[in-house]
Amino acid sequence: MIVLVTILLPIAAGGLLYLLPREDRERSRLAGTLVAAATFLMLIAGRDQEWSFRWLSRPFTAAFHFGATPISFWIALLLALCTASAIAATRVNRTRDFTALMLMLEGTMLGLFLARDLLVFALFWDLMLLPVFFALIGWGEHVATAWRYFIYNFAGGLTLLLATAAFGVIYGSTDVIGRGGAHLVGSWAPWIYAGFAFAFLVKTPIWPLHTWMPPTYTALPPPMAAVVGAVQSKAGLYGFLAIAVALMPVYVTQYASPLIVLGAISLIDGGVVALVQNDAKRVVAYSSLSHLGLIVIAIVSTNQLALAGALVYIIAHGLFTAALFILLGYVEEREGTRSLIRLGGVAWANPRLAGALCIAALAALGLPGLAGFVGELFIVIGVYQAGYVWPVIVALIAIVLAAAYMLRLYQDIMNGPQVEDVPVRRDLTWREGLAVAPLLAALVLLGVQPSAILASVSSVTSGAHAAASMEAQR
Amino acid sequence: MTYPLLLALWLAPLASAVICWAFGPQLRTRSGWLASGFVALSFALAVASWPAGTQSAGGALGAHQRLFSWGPGFDFGLLLDPLSLLWTYIITGVGFLIVFYSIGYMDGDRAFARFFAYMSFFVFAMLTLVLSDNFVGLLVGWGLVGLASYFLIGFWFDRPSAVAAARKAFVINVVGDVGVMFAIALIVANVHSIGFSDTFAGAATFSSGLLFAICLALFIGAAAKSAQVPLHTWLPDAMEGPTPVSALIHAATMVTAGVYLVARCAPLWSRNPEAQLLVGTIGGLTALLGAILGTAQWDIKRILAYSTMSQIGYMIMGVGVGAYEGGVAHFFTHAFFKAQLFLTSGLIIHALSDEQDIRRMGGLWKRMPFAFWAMLTGVLSICGFPGFSGFFSKDEVIYGALQHGHPWLYAVGILTAGITAYYMFRLLFITFLGEYRGEAGTPHGHAPAWIMNAPVAILVVPSVAIGAALMIGGDSSPWARFFAPLFAPQALLAPSPAATPPLSEGLTSVIVLICVAVGFAVAWYRYATPVAQADAVERLRSETAHMPPVLTNLFYVDAAIDLIFVQSAQFLGTISGRVVDPAVLDGAVREAAFSAGWLGAVVRSFQTGLVRAYALLLVAGAAGFIVYYALAGTAH
Repeated sequence: MIVLVTILLPIAAGGLLYLLPREDRERSRLAGTLVAAATFLMLIAGRDQEWSFRWLSRPFTAAFHFGATPISFWIALLLALCTASAIAATRVNRTRDFTALMLMLEGTMLGLFLARDLLVFALFWDLMLLPVFFALIGWGEHVATAWRYFIYNFAGGLTLLLATAAFGVIYGSTDVIGRGGAHLVGSWAPWIYAGFAFAFLVKTPIWPLHTWMPPTYTALPPPMAAVVGAVQSKAGLYGFLAIAVALMPVYVTQYASPLIVLGAISLIDGGVVALVQNDAKRVVAYSSLSHLGLIVIAIVSTNQLALAGALVYIIAHGLFTAALFILLGYVEEREGTRSLIRLGGVAWANPRLAGALCIAALAALGLPGLAGFVGELFIVIGVYQAGYVWPVIVALIAIVLAAAYMLRLYQDIMNGPQVEDVPVRRDLTWREGLAVAPLLAALVLLGVQPSAILASVSSVTSGAHAAASMEAQR
Repeated sequence: MTYPLLLALWLAPLASAVICWAFGPQLRTRSGWLASGFVALSFALAVASWPAGTQSAGGALGAHQRLFSWGPGFDFGLLLDPLSLLWTYIITGVGFLIVFYSIGYMDGDRAFARFFAYMSFFVFAMLTLVLSDNFVGLLVGWGLVGLASYFLIGFWFDRPSAVAAARKAFVINVVGDVGVMFAIALIVANVHSIGFSDTFAGAATFSSGLLFAICLALFIGAAAKSAQVPLHTWLPDAMEGPTPVSALIHAATMVTAGVYLVARCAPLWSRNPEAQLLVGTIGGLTALLGAILGTAQWDIKRILAYSTMSQIGYMIMGVGVGAYEGGVAHFFTHAFFKAQLFLTSGLIIHALSDEQDIRRMGGLWKRMPFAFWAMLTGVLSICGFPGFSGFFSKDEVIYGALQHGHPWLYAVGILTAGITAYYMFRLLFITFLGEYRGEAGTPHGHAPAWIMNAPVAILVVPSVAIGAALMIGGDSSPWARFFAPLFAPQALLAPSPAATPPLSEGLTSVIVLICVAVGFAVAWYRYATPVAQADAVERLRSETAHMPPVLTNLFYVDAAIDLIFVQSAQFLGTISGRVVDPAVLDGAVREAAFSAGWLGAVVRSFQTGLVRAYALLLVAGAAGFIVYYALAGTAH
């Protein structure tokens, strides 16, 4: 039951927030942060709990079945943490309405990650688009951006729904996420895999399906960009892990090559484009394209170490992306611009902000000792072990590119002589600092000791891996 | 043997870094004393750990302390054996002297405490690198020293040149990091462990191709960190950092990490002659090119930077060809005399209010006799004057190349020794002889002079005498016996060096000395004769004007790297970001979705609508979806 409450609480709280006066910025922010923090604790309390309600029995069985799997547990925790941080850091017009959307976004995404039924997964896949769509319309600059976001992702949702229905008809049940031993085979199975994969690739996104992403991340207010860039982008990767690799490992292995090629293109393309962007948020957006390409390669290699690395990197990427978007939001508030050409010398007046941005940027470029490094290291080892040598080389080149564009981002903002004519010149406040501190602390902690996350992948994928290797032997 | 004291030794500088960083505004100048104290504590613990580090109980050499594990095969721990003990002494001992010196050098800087936080952090990171008992721990240290180096090169971050130099150093060092990362992938795939001992035990089963690939990948790391050709271009630029940083990080310790790595992986290299040849050749080439470039510089710190590059080339050549003791010995003596040279140049720069161009110096021996004598002993040591420390270690490397069957590298080593004598005496003569050619301002800072002079005076002792104390006596010298458990042929299970080489060690010394004398004589003739001193201004101007372009452009390596890697990546990024993404990829989808047919019309009709309309439509759609499935579910 606690699982269901965890999902419904933020959605209900988002609705209840409208009881507050429209301009009550402080209290809506506080309430939103507390609700998100509460879901964090409830996730831990309900780690082993499940809740199920039979819904369909024909043409296949389906259920409102919720509960964390070892993989989704970590991503859901990431979501709750990022949401709490992002709401705490919020400084936008109409804070109340925005916070309500943030909570609804959290609730719908919790529904997605905690779903144990494919049909419920597909339902929340579409629902979680709505808060972002409304935020793009309400707070973005161009309505076209909102539509682009919606059309791309809804197209993915469509193939996901078709694939889910086909899966249910052939397999007889969609209540299969996190259930060991459920495997789909047959002549239709590759098409079903293709339907899932398309949705996941759009969501991640992967080259050439990524063009909705940079404008979306740029147009969203920083707190929502943080949650969308950090966690919503992981819905596709989570789908690959929990659905594709777990339920259709044979086809993941069989059709790995095209995805590895697309992942490699994303790695390099994202890296070189990030190198020449002048909008700070677009640098982070394109860096995401690069980093997530690496995770796709890791997942479709289906090597144990690579999958473990992928999960760590999913969490790490979420943490540093959220931190980067929040911190860049602080910079924009202070300096009135995101342009790397116009910014400079911010560190003189804002040493604490500079320190925080430095940690986030270093995590993003894979500094050893921080969480991103652990993910990259295990992915490189695992993908090499799986026999793919050239993707490893491409990944290593992308790591060098990451160092170049992340340092450029940091240095162009923080270093150099101080720029005159700046709206606000004060360092991080307590509230602003506390909002990002948990994200940065988690990056350090997981960089030193990631074994809890590394270990949680094997429990879900060991069966899948055995099936894949059996298939390989045949 | 477990040895918890290692933890204290390792973490003391980290504690100092955290305290200086968190309480910088409160501590102010006390942060320098605090950092010195913590690094000194680390050094004291290292001295106390001598017995533990050199004992070999139960077949395992040195002291070991388990830390934690990430999972099967990924165990982390600290290892103190003769090799890491030696590096620990330099890092904490020389490190203490330089941190102490910085109290004077950095006096009056507006980010005083931040400087000491970074310096302490560097010491911690470097200890992580040398104390790790596995490749991942080493890589963590490897990356963190690169970070500390980045922070300290860009310490004065209002200077665009410092910011650019810091970025360049970091990115090139990441090239090295990913090399080590790839080596780890190769190792884990074959031995399923990251530990040194497992790897070296498993190395016997590696094919020679695999062994070469591992050595090559590791050496990319070593070359980037140790400024070996062609990854050396960051080191001269790194001189943008404060001078104590150049002394500690870019001379004595961090840049020698590549030497440590090759020496640590001696069991891998000794099994693969091709890898040895590659590393030895790159080392020799770097020694020679660094020395040649050193002859064409005017910035006192850049001369020393190229000399560092050249001397590390010697070390890499030594450990590359298999003369591990020689290469490590040269690291050891170089740490003293090069730190001394840098700190002395810091005394000059400090006294001349940040003047670094030797053309605007001259005649300083009258004004700064202490700096003159300190510089002179350092120069004699680096040139290998008989009896000075550099003499013993450099000859060991040069002769080692011949012993291990590389006559060409032997010749390069001798030639480089001659060039070294030329450019170091050139530096000494132009700086200290003749008449003063600049207009000095007043030095910043008011710290007492002894704070900066005392560390230099202390460093003079080992840079003159430690070679004679430890390295006389060939295989029975204290040095050879100290490293016998690690580097003796039987310890490496490698073939012994070939039969007696054609030239004896004594004869080698004589040949080297003749070359050094020639180098000295040329420098004397050009800069130190009474005529040259009297005509110095004109001569220096003419030399500047007639410098060969290939030298002023540093063999065009910077330009080539910029064109091939940096500009091509930026070009690709511009094409992809400005043309491919908006016009080709997004354009295709937009055509399909918007312009064609009903969807375009629907969307266009909405463009004038209200937010509420969108909201209503979407909520209605979603609600309909839910209701449909809910009804379908309850229908039976």
